[in-house]
Amino acid sequence: MFDLSIFDGVIELLPEIGKATGETLLMMAICLTAAVLIGGSLGIAVFLTSRGQALARYRRFNLLANAVINVVRSFPFIILLVAVSPFSRHIVGTSIGPLAASVPLSLAAIFYFARLIEQTLRDVPRGVIEAAEAMGASPLQIVFHVLLVEARSGLILAFTVLTVSFLSYSAVAGVVGGGGIGDLAIRYGYYRFETDIMVATIVLLVVMVQSIQFLGQWLARRLDKR
Amino acid sequence: MTAVPHSPPAAIQLRGVGKRFTGSDGEAVGVAPTDLDVAAGEIHGIIGFSGAGKSTLLRLVNLLERPDSGEVIVHGENLTRMSPPQLRAARQRIGMIFQHFNLLHNRTVADNVAFPLRIAGASPERIRERVQACLSFVGLSDKAEAWPSQLSGGQKQRVAIARALAPEPHLLLADEPTSALDPRTTLSLLEVLDDVNRRLGVTILLVSHEMAVIRRLCHRVSVMEAGEVIERVELANGQVPPDSRLAQWLTEFGGASPTPAQAAGALEKESASV
Ligand SMILES: Nc1ncnc2c1ncn2[C@@H]1O[C@H](COP(=O)(O)OP(=O)(O)O)[C@@H](O)[C@H]1O
Ligand SMILES: [Mg+2]
Repeated sequence: MFDLSIFDGVIELLPEIGKATGETLLMMAICLTAAVLIGGSLGIAVFLTSRGQALARYRRFNLLANAVINVVRSFPFIILLVAVSPFSRHIVGTSIGPLAASVPLSLAAIFYFARLIEQTLRDVPRGVIEAAEAMGASPLQIVFHVLLVEARSGLILAFTVLTVSFLSYSAVAGVVGGGGIGDLAIRYGYYRFETDIMVATIVLLVVMVQSIQFLGQWLARRLDKR
Repeated sequence: MTAVPHSPPAAIQLRGVGKRFTGSDGEAVGVAPTDLDVAAGEIHGIIGFSGAGKSTLLRLVNLLERPDSGEVIVHGENLTRMSPPQLRAARQRIGMIFQHFNLLHNRTVADNVAFPLRIAGASPERIRERVQACLSFVGLSDKAEAWPSQLSGGQKQRVAIARALAPEPHLLLADEPTSALDPRTTLSLLEVLDDVNRRLGVTILLVSHEMAVIRRLCHRVSVMEAGEVIERVELANGQVPPDSRLAQWLTEFGGASPTPAQAAGALEKESASV
């Protein structure tokens, strides 16, 4: 017969796995929301102020925003994690736990997504934007009626990449007491050599990544009418 | 008081309008300060070699290109003195079509035509009515729910014309509207543009490098070379005055068929390009 006893450890730890998954989802929810709202707006602003676009006259903003994005993105995540730790304590009152880990995660996600969005919007042909300008569209109308609609497949894919990347970043956050699935894998699997727990968490992460990727690509394909 | 003879305001008046770009070799390119008067109801052509400044001159009319100098007056309104919101409102009364159509790919044909009305805040009833009327005008009522990628080049340009006509503009700017199309499709599109002018009374400013296109449609033509309008020519029934630079170009570069019928014929074969 098939021996299920090797999974006893996993079954015993199910509540803990559930809790860790909840923590991961919380970290993801916070950093993805921040990335979409703040990073998305920043990416759009950088795109609109780039050369040849509607708000190109705000060149100083463009240069500054580009520089900030590059600086934040050049920090290795683990260093960012430690560096903003005092700042996290200031904002959420503690420097450990998923809420505290969400601060550096959000920071990294915002600037990562800003760059992704800016580059995705470049796929919208200049002529299409210009046609909207010729029809009297305002910059805000161009964003909502042209850029976000014409680039929607690319934007979905950008969000997919962001989600997958930050699922693994959130596992790193576990190292400094962020909690979550990655933390569980490290505590039980790595430090205590409980291989079954390690395998279970990795399987869980693989399933999550596959689902996100599948869903993202399916949606992007469905929305693309080009 | 003496009665002043009243004529309709000119559709376009450019007064000393110029735009300079610095080319890669440091040479100034663009359009030298130019005057242009286009009467209401006229089809005015702009012809010249590639890089002569035709598109720039056209784009100066709706201020897609900001002039370095001069004034742009469209139907009596001075666009160069307008605030951005005023300019956007004025642009809603000026249609524009392009060589590569520039349709929104992720919107249906009907939504493309509705686009200028939506951004102008038109009511749903008006949008429905205008979309229907404009699609029927260009003969594409049956394609309302199609996606642009499902259409041929000629059909895409018809959709672009319907979209430009939706807000009932008094002026249509056309930048090489047939240059991406085959001769037969070109001919049928020129019919549509002729209809836009005759039946709807829309003034058209048309850029083309193809003499046959200019001849088929235009009442007058501005000839451009190296950023300057070097000549203005009346084309009575497509006839090019024999003493003009344009006539000289035609003999030099071919395609000198003088009658409109022959000009249309020339389109079917190889369109005459200057
Ligand atoms: N935005 C721009 N920046 C720099 N140079 C430009 C720009 N637009 C046009 N030009 C230059 O101005 C000249 C005229 O261009 P254009 O009006 O497009 O010519 P045409 O439509 O007759 O082919 C060309 O030399 C072109 O390279
Ligand atoms: Mg051109």
